[in-house]
Amino acid sequence: MLANLSRRSFVKALGISAGALVIGAPDPAAAIVAGSSARFGAILAIAADGAVSVVCPSSEMGQGTQEALARLVAEELECDWSRLTIVQPWADPAFINPAARRQLTANSMTVTGYFLSLRRLGASARLMLVQAAADRLGVPASELSVQNGSVRHLASQRSLHFGELAAGAAALPVPGDAPLKRASAFQLIGSRSPRKDLAAKVTGQAEFGMDVHEDGMLVAALALAPHPLAEFTVAGRDIARAMPGVVAAIQIKGGCAVLADRFWRAQKAAQQLEIKVTRSPTAGLDSAAITGRIERAFAEAEGQPFPDIDMSVSPPRFIPGDQAAVAKALAGSARRLTAQYDVPYLAHAALEPLCCAARYDAGSLLVRGPLQAPEAARQIAAAKAGLPLDRVRVEVTFIGGGFGRKWANDFVETAVEVAMAAPGRLVKTIWTREQDFAADQFRPAYSARYDVGLASDGSIAAMHGRIAGQSINDYHKRAGPKGMGDPTAAAWLIYGAYDFPNKLIHYHPADLAIPVGFWRSVTLSQNTFFAESIIDEVARETGRDPLAMRRSMLAKHPRMQAVLDRAAAMIGWNTRRRKGVGRGIALAYADNSCCAQAVEVEVKGRKLTIRRIACAIDCGLAIDPAGVEAQISGGMVWGLQAALWGEIPFSDGAAQASNFSDYRMPLLADIPPIEIALLSGSDRPGSVGESGVPPLAPALANAIADAGGPRIRRLPINTALEV
Amino acid sequence: MITLRINGQDRQFEAESDTPLLWALREELRLTGTKFGCGAGLCGACTVHVDGKAVRSCQVAAGDVGTAAITTIEGLADGDSLHAVQAAWVSAQVPQCGYCQPGMIMAVAALLAATPKPMEAQVRSEITNICRCGTYPRIVAAVMQAAQQT
Repeated sequence: MLANLSRRSFVKALGISAGALVIGAPDPAAAIVAGSSARFGAILAIAADGAVSVVCPSSEMGQGTQEALARLVAEELECDWSRLTIVQPWADPAFINPAARRQLTANSMTVTGYFLSLRRLGASARLMLVQAAADRLGVPASELSVQNGSVRHLASQRSLHFGELAAGAAALPVPGDAPLKRASAFQLIGSRSPRKDLAAKVTGQAEFGMDVHEDGMLVAALALAPHPLAEFTVAGRDIARAMPGVVAAIQIKGGCAVLADRFWRAQKAAQQLEIKVTRSPTAGLDSAAITGRIERAFAEAEGQPFPDIDMSVSPPRFIPGDQAAVAKALAGSARRLTAQYDVPYLAHAALEPLCCAARYDAGSLLVRGPLQAPEAARQIAAAKAGLPLDRVRVEVTFIGGGFGRKWANDFVETAVEVAMAAPGRLVKTIWTREQDFAADQFRPAYSARYDVGLASDGSIAAMHGRIAGQSINDYHKRAGPKGMGDPTAAAWLIYGAYDFPNKLIHYHPADLAIPVGFWRSVTLSQNTFFAESIIDEVARETGRDPLAMRRSMLAKHPRMQAVLDRAAAMIGWNTRRRKGVGRGIALAYADNSCCAQAVEVEVKGRKLTIRRIACAIDCGLAIDPAGVEAQISGGMVWGLQAALWGEIPFSDGAAQASNFSDYRMPLLADIPPIEIALLSGSDRPGSVGESGVPPLAPALANAIADAGGPRIRRLPINTALEV
Repeated sequence: MITLRINGQDRQFEAESDTPLLWALREELRLTGTKFGCGAGLCGACTVHVDGKAVRSCQVAAGDVGTAAITTIEGLADGDSLHAVQAAWVSAQVPQCGYCQPGMIMAVAALLAATPKPMEAQVRSEITNICRCGTYPRIVAAVMQAAQQT
């Protein structure tokens, strides 16, 4: 249900004058209780001067969802788009994503989650403005039309703009079921106009978490133990305290913080602190030991079954594997193919290092920062400060790259703990680049083992996939679905979409306590590499064309066939190639979205050259097609970095990447030509933000095999080839 | 007391002379468009112009700048009129998260000032800033577009 909030404090919060129309979710407390009633995330305000404000419920970290969500509201509202301003959100039940049932920006579910609710918000406001105009003009509402922020009465040639109608509309009840536009009438949805945030981002005016400021504030630098739960002693605090500008040097969970008037001074003082670890969950751990524990998990950790998932129906159907039938089919198959693949720990390395500001006063707390999960941040901050939720305000800034890292709130907890050492003052805690790497919550390392049974005609008779590695859900103490292995490790290990019998997935949790978390595309970041490599190996082993074989198993998924066909056509799949040149293809799919990528490479001895990459993405209805292309292209570059160079080694219980000097990033010179085609196989939006990442690594590995190079079974590729 | 010539104005502040120019700009002068990304001169998010040349401001001590003229992203536009590189960035829809883009724009603006019509290969080899969102293909397009217009 929508509510008319025109007389509430929202008007003040939005900084607009009286006489405004403000609608959004009803009383926040009620929304929490009712759950399903929290269907209207954004708060829409129309001021007396006609300016439209939309508090965007999602966080903006480059993926463009604030633009997309604002377009959904404006499309139905029919306002003047140039007079619409997007306002950054704060943590509030009013902003809950109807699909996620949380206020968070993750999992590529923002546009899909708010698609209907935000359009209804705009449509309801439009009806109220029309009714206000009807009352004012003394004509039936049915004689009025709305365009570009004005309500017109054609017969009498009269017109009123939204600002003139806002106060009247504010006195009206919110209609229950405003009709939505037909897709053929969309004007903003599907347009290629530049995003609203670009001007601020090219002039340096956009406020990121790193830029939070108020006069008299403090800045904190850290000295960190190698693990957040490590026990340690500290030397040098007296030296640090005596240094210029330093206000306090305190011990906190996982390390120490120095509060000073400037970051440079805080950092210099923090460098005087010497942390000696006495106990750590990762004490002595190195890369060889990690590999050993993952290997051991296959033998010693009982395999947790993970079901086959039928994504062709909604909600997806879970089909448990039949272990006995699979064992029998494998034993009875004409040929067996086995392979093991390995991927390492990976860092997020967002360009904005972790940072967060907080101000703790007697009885209240403010948190401001680059937050993907403001609702959870508020709960964690409240618990840390010992305050009730309604005394904690959490405000979201632009995020200088999130990629899942700023979904976690460990850094918010730290910022609150630090701020409590200087009550009454805003304290911004800043991690250095080195600390951002060391204190990452990494994408876990995984190993996958496949046992494939082939029928005499070369078709797949059975496939048993096993994966071992750390559980992200366990690390975060999140309960997963009952009776199955952690989906973040095991889902998609064998594609449910591929039509062959006797699939079985097992997950073997590895006994490791390295901080791990969600990394752009999560499960698919490893399992698309595994699943699409083994399929390619089967195709080559049985002398079939890898594209044709995939197509033959996707008769029930024409959208997936279409993206494969398009990517193949773009790369010139069947055109002649000289010796040493190869082409590979791979597919990934998620919620109402499928993406195929094809790569052309040249391998000369150990030297790898990536010549071209083509991508076809079908994410259904693209709200901002230029934004979708940007996300997909950026996802491919993200995937390229991980495939070629991404690896965090461990030594003596700590991550060994300290800065970009030992975690190589692609630069302009490294980027091959990238071509993207948008397909639209659905009239509702699908996942985009993560979709470009997963197919890159297997498409590249498959191309290398096709070129006569080695079969890449371990990432990153630079351990096998020079790039 | 340190005096710096920034965006056409003399600005004075108290700081240790070894304070990196980056932090002087951000914290003493509140010019936060210049970003902290790595602190080691590797990512380029802190790029500014010193006497017209692109410099990674985390690697320069404020006390060593002397009388050189500094331009930051806040001083690149001519009043309300965007610099050609900024305009091309909007037109080509380059920024995603946007955090690296002020540094990227400053690096490109310096390149185009020295070489108004660069070859694409030169752009690719000379611009070595890191963009984690992977906006590189549009960066190339925007640079070539800006070069057409200058």
